[in-house]
Amino acid sequence: MKNFFPKTLHPLHVFEENEVLYAADLEKARVVELSVVMAEMLKFAETQNDQEIQRTLGNSYADDDILEAFERFTALEREGLLFNRGEGLRTAFVTEGQRRKLLVAIPGIAIDSFFDIETLSAGTNMALSQMFHHLTTSVDLYFAGNQNRKLAERMYEVNMNVRDFKRLSRRISEIYFGILTLHQEHERWLFPLYQQKELPPILIQCHAPRGHGGQAINSLLRHYAAMRDCDGFTAPSDYVREFYTDYVWDPSFFNTLPNGVDSKLFQPMDKVTAKREIAEVVGDARIETMPTVGYLSRVQSEKGASVYLKLAELNPHLLFLIAGPGLGRYASRKLPDNLVYVGFHPREKLPVIYNAFDIYCFLSMSGEETFGLTVLEAMACGVPPIVPNFDGVPSVVGDAGLIADAENFDQDIATLVSYPCPMDFSEKINLLVSNTEMRETLSEKARERAVLFTWDKTARRIMELFEELHRKKQLMNPNRLLNVFAPSESLTSEEAEILEYKSVVLSMNARYERCLMRNAVYPMRVEDGLVLSVLKDHTVREAEALLTALVSDETEAKATLKRVRGLINATA
Amino acid sequence: MLSQRRYRLKRHYKFEQDDHKYVADLETGDIVEVNAVEWEILSRYASQTQYQIVEALKQQYKVASIFDGIDHLERLGRQGSLLSPIVGGVGETATDWDGMGRHPKLLVPFDFTQEKSALDHVVNLKRYQLLTHLTKYAELETLTFSKDAPEAGIDLGEMSVRHIEVTDDNTFSPAWYAGGGYTGILLLSQFLLDDLFFYQVPDVPIVHCIEGFQGLQGRMLETLLTLNAFQDADNTLVVKSSWVKAWLDELGIPEEKVCAIPDGIDVVSEPLGDKALAKRHTAAIFDNPMFVKQPVIGLISGFEPNCGAAWISEFARFNPHLAIFVYDAMLARHAHHLPENVVTFSVDNEKSRTILPLFFQALDLVCFPAVPGTPLSVVSEAMAYGAACVVMTKYGMPAEVTGAGVAVASDWDNFGNFRVSMRHLSETINGLLAPCSARATFEDAAKDVTQRFTWVKTAQEIARLFEAGPHRTKSLSRTTKSLFPAIFCRQYNPGTGTVDTCAYRHGTGRYEHLETALAEVLSEHHTPAEVESVFKHFQRAGSAPTCDTISAGNRCPIRGGQETNLAKKEHWQKGGTSDECQDIW
Repeated sequence: MKNFFPKTLHPLHVFEENEVLYAADLEKARVVELSVVMAEMLKFAETQNDQEIQRTLGNSYADDDILEAFERFTALEREGLLFNRGEGLRTAFVTEGQRRKLLVAIPGIAIDSFFDIETLSAGTNMALSQMFHHLTTSVDLYFAGNQNRKLAERMYEVNMNVRDFKRLSRRISEIYFGILTLHQEHERWLFPLYQQKELPPILIQCHAPRGHGGQAINSLLRHYAAMRDCDGFTAPSDYVREFYTDYVWDPSFFNTLPNGVDSKLFQPMDKVTAKREIAEVVGDARIETMPTVGYLSRVQSEKGASVYLKLAELNPHLLFLIAGPGLGRYASRKLPDNLVYVGFHPREKLPVIYNAFDIYCFLSMSGEETFGLTVLEAMACGVPPIVPNFDGVPSVVGDAGLIADAENFDQDIATLVSYPCPMDFSEKINLLVSNTEMRETLSEKARERAVLFTWDKTARRIMELFEELHRKKQLMNPNRLLNVFAPSESLTSEEAEILEYKSVVLSMNARYERCLMRNAVYPMRVEDGLVLSVLKDHTVREAEALLTALVSDETEAKATLKRVRGLINATA
Repeated sequence: MLSQRRYRLKRHYKFEQDDHKYVADLETGDIVEVNAVEWEILSRYASQTQYQIVEALKQQYKVASIFDGIDHLERLGRQGSLLSPIVGGVGETATDWDGMGRHPKLLVPFDFTQEKSALDHVVNLKRYQLLTHLTKYAELETLTFSKDAPEAGIDLGEMSVRHIEVTDDNTFSPAWYAGGGYTGILLLSQFLLDDLFFYQVPDVPIVHCIEGFQGLQGRMLETLLTLNAFQDADNTLVVKSSWVKAWLDELGIPEEKVCAIPDGIDVVSEPLGDKALAKRHTAAIFDNPMFVKQPVIGLISGFEPNCGAAWISEFARFNPHLAIFVYDAMLARHAHHLPENVVTFSVDNEKSRTILPLFFQALDLVCFPAVPGTPLSVVSEAMAYGAACVVMTKYGMPAEVTGAGVAVASDWDNFGNFRVSMRHLSETINGLLAPCSARATFEDAAKDVTQRFTWVKTAQEIARLFEAGPHRTKSLSRTTKSLFPAIFCRQYNPGTGTVDTCAYRHGTGRYEHLETALAEVLSEHHTPAEVESVFKHFQRAGSAPTCDTISAGNRCPIRGGQETNLAKKEHWQKGGTSDECQDIW
């Protein structure tokens, strides 16, 4: 049977209070009650194995007591208490010196998956993985997890399972320059963090601003309302900020953070060779001889698979290739003869696949395409793309591809938001197929444009954003102003006695400081008073939401918020 | 002394390791790292008030860091660590000063020099009387602020003067010093701006004595409504007459927040002579023989000055057979061209104060409107020499003069308009002037007011309010804080395609009614009366969602769904019926 001891102990402080022994686990911020035997055993826990401990203590304590202590320690270890899980923090991380540290918290995604690139199917995860690796040129990354270990060069997992949330916050604020996380619709763990003023800025990567039955937008609106002034979103294209301009007063919380592309991996190669290679893999010689159109994605309706099939039917003279994890529900259909599934290939093979395409088609209609990473990869390989005219993808393509019509359902921000027009796509595909000069020009432009998007730039931009957020954090002021609401009688009419209402702000704040000129009260409108009260424990964006509901004139509502913020800042 | 705490310090253990300070909560098993000032605060938290902690540590640490430390620890308390919120009241009730045979220690923070010049002579005298008598039942202390040593020669009798040295680094407002071991605060100022700060001092009951305003009642109304908004359950407004209390009740100020305690009255114990002699003296002083030829009516006026002169003139013309002695603090100085059967008088100085009893003794009948501006103490003093009264009243016969006269129904509004049937009033007065047994009974009862209203009783009742204060059930509205506060945010409704504001509770992951959450949030910092003000304002402003949701059943955030008198009144003013009032919310 495997020995329980020896084990590395967490930093402990053993003490006695009212004749009871306790161990304070400083790593986990928990106190554990100990029996006398347990306290004795802890002295030998790091140096002796089970049998040695039993021998050492056997003369002084009953076997049953020792056995019970073992069982209790086993239970405590299962709870993550007293004993180190994984490497000791100090020994593991001692090499990193003074480099800035970012905490990466992405619950729901296995940390190891970011280091096994073949397991990443979604573009978002792929983008994150690339971004993390490039970030390590300037910062060390610590992934919140449940053990301490080194994951890769300058990347670590740290055990964040600390019960004392305040202490955890304090530790995070002491150690980390920022918190990087990913917006996930159902995750609520961030909300308590927003309430911790001392925490470093939190940057939330947003990859799906709408769609998903309305959950995407509502989740983002919740985070927008709850986050601190020094937190923010990032999204891969300007489109997200523009989209949210209709729903929030301060779209500057949505920062554009373009993805990058590995332009060394993804680069143009000899198309004949690439086509031959893929033709051999797939066993379809037509790939070498016919013009090819490419699609690399999950084969799903929202990714435009149905439209792609339609394009194949419309253009029997062209070969339509599909690369993806599987054909999904389309596998059971009779597919057009000119539609060829080329399978799911490891990432290092993707450049060959892209290079086997003469034209790349991007057809997603889900309303969550903020960027279109595969478009950029295709462009880096010198493949001219055709993309629908909605969301963020056209901004990635610029003038290095063709933008096809799409029916946009602007009012529907919950489900599918667009339908790429098959006829226009078909015309543009044929235009490129027939116009070699145009295709070659766009191919060059595509490559030139793609190499502008580098992961190094993305990583640098992240650090710039954190620095900006730190400056915003310095500007945040507590609101300790005291105000009250009261009716006041309007004397405008003697016919009807009508009570009006007002708020007054005191010149003394909650800490009894004279914060305004003299000992007096200053009348203000109820709307102003309401904002002042709400801003004691709530964010400016929450006050914004309230004003939106309560004040019909948006200009006046915005002026109210501005006025009250000015008062708070001036009297802080 | 009161402990101004809303949290109990839990069983804990403090220890230091590797230059860090920790506290282990032995009840929950949590360990919290604290800084040096929090370490010190914890040592004092169980036994000292916030005031005492700050005062004790401010030489050693910056005041802001001490407040931050207390805030941090209490925030931990809300999360269940180290401190636990005390449900239902403050941590410790007042030291049992009564049981220990000691008096409550009251802070009486008023700027006596400024106030003295702004108040009329009678109010100043009565304030002096109140404080003098109150010193028998309470230790009174007031504050002075100056850069130098306290001025010599400030003699406030048995009231002590606490000098606060004003230094450049002392940024505390006067209200801070109210935390320094007082059982309660007695506010006397009528100047709203001066005293509002004291309402922010937690857990020190306030008794605020309100004089009758003879000026625009609207101004008084605004003052009182504002004070009501400030009041916690521990605070009491003291008014001087039952009709002011009835008026405030009509305005929606809850009955339990208002206490009617009449001033004591000051009458000359030995009569100055008989009524006939008093009439002759009065006639001589005013050089007007009507006081010996005609029945003398004392009209103690609290009318709004703009309307009072017109009403008194009409009353005098309607009753030319009466000699009318008007006591009116404001009218006497400003009214001209009153009918010949009217003289006006007010007390401006000690000389006029000395002569007033003579005039009162000359009265055959006292007549007064039971309006907020009419001083009950002057009415009582006038009646004390044996004059029955005729009360023009909106709320029935005032308890203070029951059995000593008759009531005539009247009506008045907050703009100074006063309406009474002049014929009915005149008939009532004439009926009482005729010799009858009822008048004799009334006059005997009138003489009893000297027994009913004494300064001793006034002082005792005010002291008793402080005694009751700390033991009341504390309103938790400003002490409880949700662990999962609502987040106000916008929400897209895929069904309608609209975006509306609502409240999201991350503890439950659900959206809630905006209004319910808003009431909860406001209640953390404001009294129920204030919260009500906010909602009524937005109802008035026509923010439809608020009205709709509240009427749909979310009344509980505001006064437990109880409709206020104020709401009833407003609806009534708009022409609604009382049944329809149910729909106001």
